[in-house]
Amino acid sequence: MIAQRFAALWLIVIGLVPMMMSAAFADPIIPHFVDETSSSGIHSIYKGDWQYMVGGGVAAFDCEGNGLPDLFVAGGENKAKLFLNQSHPGGPLKFTEANNSGLEFDHVTGAYPIDIDGDGIMDLVILRVGENKIMRGLGHCKFQEMNSAWHIDGGNAWNTAFSATWEKGNRLPTLAFGTYIDTQFQDQPWGHCSDNWVLRPRADQSGYGDRIPLLPSYCTLSMLFTDWNRSGTASLRVSNDREYYMGGQEQLWKIEPDKPPTLYTEAEGWKYIRLWGMGIATADFNGSGYPSYFLSSMADQRMQLLAGGPTQPTYREAQFDMGTTAHRPYTGGDLRPSTGWHTQFEDVNNDGLYDLFIAKGNVDRMPDFAQKDPNNLLLQKEDGTFVEAGDKAGLLSFRNHRGAQLVDLNADGKLDLVVVTRRDTVRVWRNISDHLGHFLELKVQQEGNNRNAVGAWVEVKEANGKIMRRENFIGGGHASGQAGFLHFGLGALTETEFRVIWPDQSVSEWQKVAGDHFYVVNKDRSIVEWHFGK
Amino acid sequence: MKKISVLLCLLCLASPAHAAAPEEVLSNWYTVLLNLVRHTATYSPPVAARSFAYFGIAAFEATASGNTKLHTLAGQLNGLKTLPMREAGKTYDEAVVLNAALDAAIHDFFSNTGPTGQHVMAVQSSAMKARVASGLSRDVIQRSERFGVTLEKAILEWSKSDGGAVITNLGFPEHYSVSKEPGHWVPTNQYQLQQHPLLPNWGKNRPFAMPNAAACSLPPPPSFSEDPQSEFFKQAREVYDTRNALTAEQTIIARFWSDDPGLSWTPPGHWVGIVLDLMQQRHLDAAKASEALARVGIAIADGFIGCWHEKYHYDFIRPVTFIKKNIDKSWDTLLITPPFPEYPSGHSSATGAATEALTAVFGDHFEFDDTTHERDGLGVRHFISFKQAAEEAGISRLYGGIHFRAAIVQGLQQGACIGRYAAALKMQQ
Repeated sequence: MIAQRFAALWLIVIGLVPMMMSAAFADPIIPHFVDETSSSGIHSIYKGDWQYMVGGGVAAFDCEGNGLPDLFVAGGENKAKLFLNQSHPGGPLKFTEANNSGLEFDHVTGAYPIDIDGDGIMDLVILRVGENKIMRGLGHCKFQEMNSAWHIDGGNAWNTAFSATWEKGNRLPTLAFGTYIDTQFQDQPWGHCSDNWVLRPRADQSGYGDRIPLLPSYCTLSMLFTDWNRSGTASLRVSNDREYYMGGQEQLWKIEPDKPPTLYTEAEGWKYIRLWGMGIATADFNGSGYPSYFLSSMADQRMQLLAGGPTQPTYREAQFDMGTTAHRPYTGGDLRPSTGWHTQFEDVNNDGLYDLFIAKGNVDRMPDFAQKDPNNLLLQKEDGTFVEAGDKAGLLSFRNHRGAQLVDLNADGKLDLVVVTRRDTVRVWRNISDHLGHFLELKVQQEGNNRNAVGAWVEVKEANGKIMRRENFIGGGHASGQAGFLHFGLGALTETEFRVIWPDQSVSEWQKVAGDHFYVVNKDRSIVEWHFGK
Repeated sequence: MKKISVLLCLLCLASPAHAAAPEEVLSNWYTVLLNLVRHTATYSPPVAARSFAYFGIAAFEATASGNTKLHTLAGQLNGLKTLPMREAGKTYDEAVVLNAALDAAIHDFFSNTGPTGQHVMAVQSSAMKARVASGLSRDVIQRSERFGVTLEKAILEWSKSDGGAVITNLGFPEHYSVSKEPGHWVPTNQYQLQQHPLLPNWGKNRPFAMPNAAACSLPPPPSFSEDPQSEFFKQAREVYDTRNALTAEQTIIARFWSDDPGLSWTPPGHWVGIVLDLMQQRHLDAAKASEALARVGIAIADGFIGCWHEKYHYDFIRPVTFIKKNIDKSWDTLLITPPFPEYPSGHSSATGAATEALTAVFGDHFEFDDTTHERDGLGVRHFISFKQAAEEAGISRLYGGIHFRAAIVQGLQQGACIGRYAAALKMQQ
C-alpha cells in the first residue's frame, strides 16, 4: 500500500517543514523558459481582421493516448491545426502537424477538450465565427462531427466562450456557449450582443434538448462553471466586454438541476461590476478553501476574493494589495495601459504556490493602449503577494497575444507555455529550469459519467502546512482549455499526501505519494503511477 | 427614442430615393459621436465635453455659412478670430457642406478610437457621402465638400492651442503629489491607474465663451472637520444617512444620471442626447438644432473647465474617504466615486451650464422626455423644465454617495454662471 510504503518518508517530510518555513519569505524561484517555436514544428497563424480581434485559443489534450498533450490551435481565417506531440520526457518540444484529423476548420476562435460521451477518448468543442463544432474523438487523433447525432445546436454566431459541467444525475454534461457581437449589426455593433445559451441533456440522455438562452447576454469573452461556494453544484461565471454591451455587467448564473438558469442579484450579494472582461482564471491561491478569481481586462486587471462567505457571492477586489494590477507593460518603455486576454493560475516554479500568467496584446491599433504589451508571469511570494518575472524567466514577448496554455508538454513536471498570437505564429516556450521544487501530477478519473471527474477538487499537502487546492474545471481562460494531468508544485517535499473531493462530494482518504511522479487516480480504485511510454 | 433614431438613420442610408437633408446628416453623425464618446477610452467627461463643443461649433458654422439668418461665432469665442467663408455667387449644398465638416471632425477628434470605432466611422462616412450627393452636380459636390472640410480644418487648428488636445495615459498624470493634509483628496479606489487624479490641469485650458477659467469661481466648501457638530460633518452624515435609506426612486435617479465614462455617453453626452431627442420630437431644422448643439456643447465644455479650476484649487476630500474613516468603515457608495477631487460637483456644474444654454434656445418651462438610458433599462424620465432636470441631476450625486450637498448646490450655481456666457453668444442675426 502506498500509504505504508511512504510512511517513513513522510516523517522526514514533516521534519522539513521548519526548514521551509524559515525560507518562507524568500523571493520566489524564477523559472527559466526558452522559446522553441522555430524548432518545435508548430506553425500556425491566427489570421483575420475585425471578427478575429478576440479569440485565438488553443486546446491542450492527449488525442494519441501517449499521455502527452497535443495542441489544437485556432487559425481564424486560416484553417485550425492539430499538432501531435512527439516530445520525449524532459526533451525539446517536438510536434508534427496532423493530417485529416477532422478538425481542420476555418473561422475557429477557440476550443475546449471534454469527454462528452464518457468513452475515455477526449472530444473537442470548437468555437467558431459561424457554427460551433462538437467533435467526438475516435482515437488516434481522428475526430467526427456530432452536432447532428447528439442534437447539439451549434448556433451561428461570433462564438467566443465555452464551459461545461455535469449536473447531478446526468450522463451527459451541460454545455454553456458564450457569444460576442451580433454580426448582423457590424455597422452599429455597440449595444448588440448576441445570445449566450445553455444546452442540457434530454431526459433520456440520448442527446441534447433545445437551447436555453442566458438572457440578458452581454458580449461574453469567457465563461466558467465553478463551485464558488463549495456547495457541490457549480454556478456559471460569465465575464463580459463592457466595450459593447449596454446596461450590462459581470454575471453569475445559478444552474440548478431541473431549474431554469437564474442570475444572482445584488440583493443576494452579487456586485454590479463592469469591465472589459476578457478571461477568467481561478484557484484557491490564498488557502481560503474557496476559489478566487482573476479577471483579465484592459488597464487594471481584477483579482476577486470571496468576501461574503458561502451564502453570498460577494467578492472584494485585491489586485492592488497583491501586486496583480498588471495595468501597464512592466518593461519595454510603453507606458500606456495594457490589455489582458488568457489568464491562468499555475505553479510554474513548483514552490507550492499558485503563480499567475496573463497573455497581453493590443486589440488592434488602439493608440491609447500599449502596443508593446508583454505577457505577465506573476510569481506568488510566501506572503501572498505577486512579483513580475516574465522577462527574467525568458518569456518576454511583445507580440499581440491572445489565448494560451501553461501545460507540461514534455512530461518533466515543469510547466511549458504555448501562446497564440494575432497575425503571427503561435509561440511555444519550454521550461528548462533545473532548480525548481518538486512536483506532483495527478489525473483524476472515475467510471461511467463524467469520466474525467470535472467538478472534483484535488487537495495536496504542502511543506508549509498549507493545502494546495485545484478545482477540476472546463472553461475560463480566453478561448483556451486543457485536459489531462493536474499539476502541483511541492517545493522541497519529496513526497506528500493528497485527497480528492469527487463530483458526487464523496471524499477520498488522504493518500501518500512520492513527489516528481505522475499518477492516475481512479475513484474507488488504487492509484496508478504513470510513466511515459508504458 | 434613440434606438428608433438609429434604425431610421440606417433605413435612410439604404434608401436611394432622395438626398439626405442637413437634419439627417446632423442626427446621424451625432449618433456616431455619442457612441464614440462612450467607446473611446480617453473620453472622460471633460474630454467629451470639449469634443461636443468643437463638434457643435463645426455643425453650427457649416450651417450658418449658408444661412443669412445665423451669425457666426468667429470673433465671439476665445481665440477664434475668423473662419473660412463661402465663395460669393457660387452654389453649395447644405447637406454636403455639413456632412463634409462633421465627417472630418469626427475623424480628427476620434483618430484614437479602437478598431470598431474606426470601422463604424468608415461605414458611416462612405454611406453618408453617397447619400448627400444623390442628384447633385459634380462641381456642387466638390465645392461643398471642399468648403466643409476647410471650415473644419480651421476649427481643428484653433482647437489645438486650447490645452486639451493631447490626452496621455487616459488622462491620469504620471507624476502628481497627493496631499497628505486632512480634508484633501486621496485615491478612492485601488486601481493603479487612478492613484493620481484625472486631468489636474484641465482647469488651465482656454475656455470657449467665458473669459477665463476663474470667471465663475466659488466660495470654499464647508471647512473640513471631524467634529460631529460641524457643518462639514453634518453634510457627511447626510450623505451617509441618505445612501443608507435610499428609496427605489432615488436609486433610479442616481443611476439615471450616473453617466459613467466608458459605460455611457458621459454627463455632457447625456445633455447632447437630450437635444437630439428634442430635435426629433420637435422636428427642429438644422439651424435651430445646430444652434442648440453648439450652445450646449460650449456651455458644458466651459462648465468642466471652470469646475476643474475649482476642483484643483480646493482639492477637497470625497465622502467615501471621510465616512469610512469617521462614521462607518464598512460603508460604500452606490455609484463609482470618480477619481478626482470632490468640490464642486462636475455633473452639477456642467448641468447648470447646459440648463442656461438650453433655456436660451428653447425658453423656460420647456417640458421634455429624457430617453437617454432607455436602452440601459432605466426608463424614460419626464421633466417640466431644464432646471428641474438639472436639480435632479445634481441631487443624484448625493443619492449616489459621491458628493456632499455643498458641491451640488455650488456646482449648479457655478454652472448657471458659466452657462450665461454661452447663452449670451450672438448666433442669430
